[in-house]
Amino acid sequence: MLARKMAPAGLALALAVAGTPAAHAEFRPTKTLELVVHSGPGGGNDILGRALIAAIEDAKLSPVRIQINNKVGGGGASAAAYLAEKKGDPNVIGVFTSVWVTNPLAQAEANVGIRELTPISMLVLEPAVIVVRADSPYKTMKDLIEGAKANPGKLKQSGGSVLARDAVVRQVLMSSTGARWAFISFPSGGERISALLGGHVDMMVIEPAEAGELIRSGKLRALAQVTDERLEQFKEIPTLKEAGIDVPTVPQPRGILGPPGMPADAVAYYEELLAKAAKSPGWQKFVRDNLLQSVVLKSKETGAFLADYESQMRAILTQAGVKLVR
Amino acid sequence: MRKYLIRDGDVISGAAIAALGVYIISVAAKWDYMSIEGPGPGFFPIWYGIAMVVLSLALIGSKYLKPAVAVEREPIDWPGFSRAFATWLGFVVCAALLKPLGFTISFALLCFFLVAYVFRRPLRVALITAVVSSIAFYLVFSVALNVSLPTGLVGF
Amino acid sequence: MDVINGLAHGFGVALMPVNLMWCFVGCFLGTIVGILPGLGPAATIAMLMPLTYGMGPASGIIMLAGIYYGAKYGGSTTSILLNMPGESSSVVTCLDGYQMARRGRAGAALGIAAIASFIAGSFGIFALTLVAPPIAAFALSFSSPEYFALMFLGLALVVLLSGDSLIKGLIALLIGLWLTSIGTDLFTTQSRFTFGQSSLLGGVDFMIVAIGVFAIAEVLSSIKAGEETQVLPVPKGLRNLLPSMAELKACRFAFANGSITGFIIGVLPGAGSSIASFISYGIEKAVSKHPEKFGTGIPEGVAAPEGANNADTGGALVPLLTLGIPGGGTTAILLSALVLWGVKPGPLMMQDSPDVFWGLVASLYIGNVMLLVLNLPMVPLFAQILRIPVYILHPLIFGISIIGAYSVSSNLFDIGLLAGFGLLGYVMSVLKYPVSPLILGFVLGDAMERALRQSLMMSQGELSILVSRPISAAMLVIAVLILLSPLLPRFRKLRRDAIAEEG
Repeated sequence: MLARKMAPAGLALALAVAGTPAAHAEFRPTKTLELVVHSGPGGGNDILGRALIAAIEDAKLSPVRIQINNKVGGGGASAAAYLAEKKGDPNVIGVFTSVWVTNPLAQAEANVGIRELTPISMLVLEPAVIVVRADSPYKTMKDLIEGAKANPGKLKQSGGSVLARDAVVRQVLMSSTGARWAFISFPSGGERISALLGGHVDMMVIEPAEAGELIRSGKLRALAQVTDERLEQFKEIPTLKEAGIDVPTVPQPRGILGPPGMPADAVAYYEELLAKAAKSPGWQKFVRDNLLQSVVLKSKETGAFLADYESQMRAILTQAGVKLVR
Repeated sequence: MRKYLIRDGDVISGAAIAALGVYIISVAAKWDYMSIEGPGPGFFPIWYGIAMVVLSLALIGSKYLKPAVAVEREPIDWPGFSRAFATWLGFVVCAALLKPLGFTISFALLCFFLVAYVFRRPLRVALITAVVSSIAFYLVFSVALNVSLPTGLVGF
Repeated sequence: MDVINGLAHGFGVALMPVNLMWCFVGCFLGTIVGILPGLGPAATIAMLMPLTYGMGPASGIIMLAGIYYGAKYGGSTTSILLNMPGESSSVVTCLDGYQMARRGRAGAALGIAAIASFIAGSFGIFALTLVAPPIAAFALSFSSPEYFALMFLGLALVVLLSGDSLIKGLIALLIGLWLTSIGTDLFTTQSRFTFGQSSLLGGVDFMIVAIGVFAIAEVLSSIKAGEETQVLPVPKGLRNLLPSMAELKACRFAFANGSITGFIIGVLPGAGSSIASFISYGIEKAVSKHPEKFGTGIPEGVAAPEGANNADTGGALVPLLTLGIPGGGTTAILLSALVLWGVKPGPLMMQDSPDVFWGLVASLYIGNVMLLVLNLPMVPLFAQILRIPVYILHPLIFGISIIGAYSVSSNLFDIGLLAGFGLLGYVMSVLKYPVSPLILGFVLGDAMERALRQSLMMSQGELSILVSRPISAAMLVIAVLILLSPLLPRFRKLRRDAIAEEG
C-alpha cells in the first residue's frame, strides 16, 4: 500500500525534472474518459479496446464511463496525431500496437513518434505462428527454409503492410537463414488467409487466434511458433528456437499510452486501473480466448520496452530496405 | 461573341484536368515505377495521369474542331450560381467553425444563414428553424443515439 | 449432410419467443442504423456487443446479425429520398432511386428497394444454407488475377455509365482512380498525394466522397435552380406509395441478377457490397432493352443494386461461418462476438455449435420476413419527409451530411473534404460530367491496382498470369467486349449522320 502511494510521487519528481508539469493533487477522473484506437469497429485494436472497457466496467473499476474513439487512418498516424494534440490532457488514453512504432519511422506524414507520447502500461504480447497449407510439402521449418533456398524468390508469403509484424518476422528469418521468398501484401486478414487456403501463396506468419480453428480442423499446418516458450494452446508446436532457428522473437505488443506531458498523477492512476483491469475475469477471459500473452508493465518499463522495440525495428526495417525518414 | 457555358466549360475544365494530369505524372515520376517485386507505387498513377492528359486534350480538341453546333444557347444564370456559391461558402465557414464552436452552434449559424440569406425567409423563421433544428440534432444524435458530434471549446 | 435436419433444428432455436424478440430488436435497430448516415452497423454492433454477453450465443448472434442485414434494408431510404447514401452499399441506389423520387415515385422506389432486398436477401440465405461449403471452396480459388479481372470488368462498365459523352465519363473515372490512390501504398508504405497531411495517410473514405458528390452537390444544384417549395413531389394516394405491377414486372430480371451477383461477390473476401451493387447495376444496364433510361429513375436501377447488397450478406456469411474468415469490418466484429461467447467460427463450427450455426441461419430467414413487414408500412411514413419545405430540408441535409462524414473517423478534416467533394460534384454536374464513373473508379480503382500488383508479384512479372487462368480470362474477354460495344452503334450513327449530310 505504502509502496503504491510512493511510486507516483517518485515518478512525479522524475517527470518534473524532465520538464513535465508536475501535478500535486491526486488525479481522479470526473468526466467520461476517451480511449483512442486506430482501427475502425471490428479491427484488432478496436476489439481489444472494447474488451478492455467491458472488463473495467464489469469489475466496476472506473468511477466514470470510458468511451471508445475510432481515429482511423494512416496505420495509427491519425490516432497518434490526435493524442499529440491533446497534450497534457489526463482524460484521453490510447491503445498502441507495433505500427505506432514503425509507422513514424517510415512515413514523413506520421510525425508523432511513439516516444513523444506518454507510456502508461503494456497489456499483452501477441505471439505468432508460422503456418502452411495442410497439403504443403513442407512439414517442418527446416523443410520450408530448404525449399525456399532451393527456389529462391519462388515461395510466397501473404501478409499485411511491409511495416507489420509478419513482414518483420520474414525479414528476421531471411537474414538469419539466407533463404529468400516473396512477400505479398493484402489489406485484410480475410484476404491473406484466403490466399493461403486457396494455395495462391505458400505460407503466413499469423496470429494464433486467427489460425487456431483452421489448424484444429486440419486445413493449415503450423510449423513453428514465434515465441520464446510454447503456448499452452499449442503445446505440440515447436518454438522457432526449437525448430532450429535461433532468432529474436518479434512480439506484437499492445498496451496503453497517453498524450505527451500527461500529468504524473494521471499516469499513476491509469497504471493502477490497468493493473487491476488486467487481473479482472473479463480481461483474462479475453486474453485466453484470443490466445494472447498477458504481460503487464508499468509506465517506466513500458517506455523502456518501446524504446528498445523502436531501435530493434529500425535495424530490421533498414536491413529490409525500407526507406526510413527518422 | 456571346459565351456559352458548356463549350467554355469544357475547354476550361479540360485544361484543368490536363494540368492535374501533368501534376500527377510529375509527382508519380519520383516513385518507383517497377521494382524487382513487381509494379511500384508509381506505376498506376503515371498511366492514369497520362490518360488524363490525353483525354482532356481530346475533349478540348473536339470542341475546337467541331464548332458549337449542338450547344444549347442557354444564357448563364448568374444569380443562381451566386446563390449556390454562397451556400457552399456557408458550408465551408460552418466546417471551419466546427473546431472552435462545435457542431450545435455552427450548424445553427449555417441554418440561420441559409434560411435567412439564401432562401430569403423572414429572420424570425430563420431563427426558429436554426434553434429548433440544431437542438433536435443534438437530442437525436448526441443524447438519444450516442453519436459523437464535433464539440467545440464550449463543450457541446 | 442433413441440411433439412439442421435447418429444422435451427428453426426450433430461432422460433423460441426470446430469440424471435431479439431478432426483431436487431432488425429494427439495423433499419434505423441503416437509415441514419451517422451510424454504421459495425459501430452499432460494437457498441451493443457488451449488452449481449448475458444472452447466450444463439440469441446474441441472432440480434447482432439482425443489425447487420437490417442496415442494408435501411440504407436505401436516404439514397432515394435525399440522394444521400445511408451506407456505402447504397450509393448506387442514388442513381435511379433519387430520380424516381423526383418523378413522384418515391414510395414506389422505397417499396421496390424493400421487395428487392427481401427477394435477394432470402436467395442469399438460401444459397448459404445449401451450398456454403462448395461456394467457399470456389471463393478460395479466386485469387489476385481473378480479382483484377473482376475489377477491370467493373471499370469497363464506365462505357455504360457515361451518358452522352464517353470522354467526360472516362475523365470522371480517372479522377476517381486518382482520388482512391490517395494515401499510403500498402506494398511499399510510400505515401501518395497526401500533401503532407497525416489525415490523408489512410486515404479518403468512400462515404465522404459519396455524400459530397451526391447529397451536397444535389443541394447546391437545387438551390441554384431556385427550387423554392418542395424539391420532390410528395406521393399522393396509395397507388403512388406502392410499386405498380408494371414496375415489379420490369424488375423480374433485376431481382434474379441482384440475387446471384450479390451472393457471388459477397462470398469473395476481397470485394465488398458496394462493388456487388455496382456490378449488378452494370449488368442490368448491359442486358437492358432500354439502357438509355438508366439514371432517369427506372425501377430496375433500384432493384438490382438493392438486391445485390442484400444477397451480399448471405454471401459474406459463407466464409465467416465455414472458414472463420471475415470479409469486412462488420463480419469481423460478428466474428469477435462469436469468439467471446466461446463459439469458434471455422470449419468445425457446424458440428461443434449446431445451435448457433443453424439458429443463426434460420433466424436470417425469419429476420428477412420481419424486415419486409417492418419496412413496407414505413414507406408512407418516410415519404412524408418530402413534405418538409425545402428551406428547412436543405439545411437538415447539410447537418446529416456533416454528422455522417464525421462519424467515419471523428476527424474534422473530413468535413473539409466533404465541402471539397460537394463543390466537385456540383461543378461536374454544371459542366455535364457524369458522377457515377467517378464513384465507380473510386470503389474499384484501389482494389484493381492492388490485385494487379499482387498478381505480378505472384508470377514474378509474367503478365500471362492474367489470361492463363480460365475465370480471369473469361472476365477479361467480357470486359473487352463491353469496352468495344459503344463503337458499333456509334460508328453506325456517325455513318448515318454522314450519309444524311451528304444526302
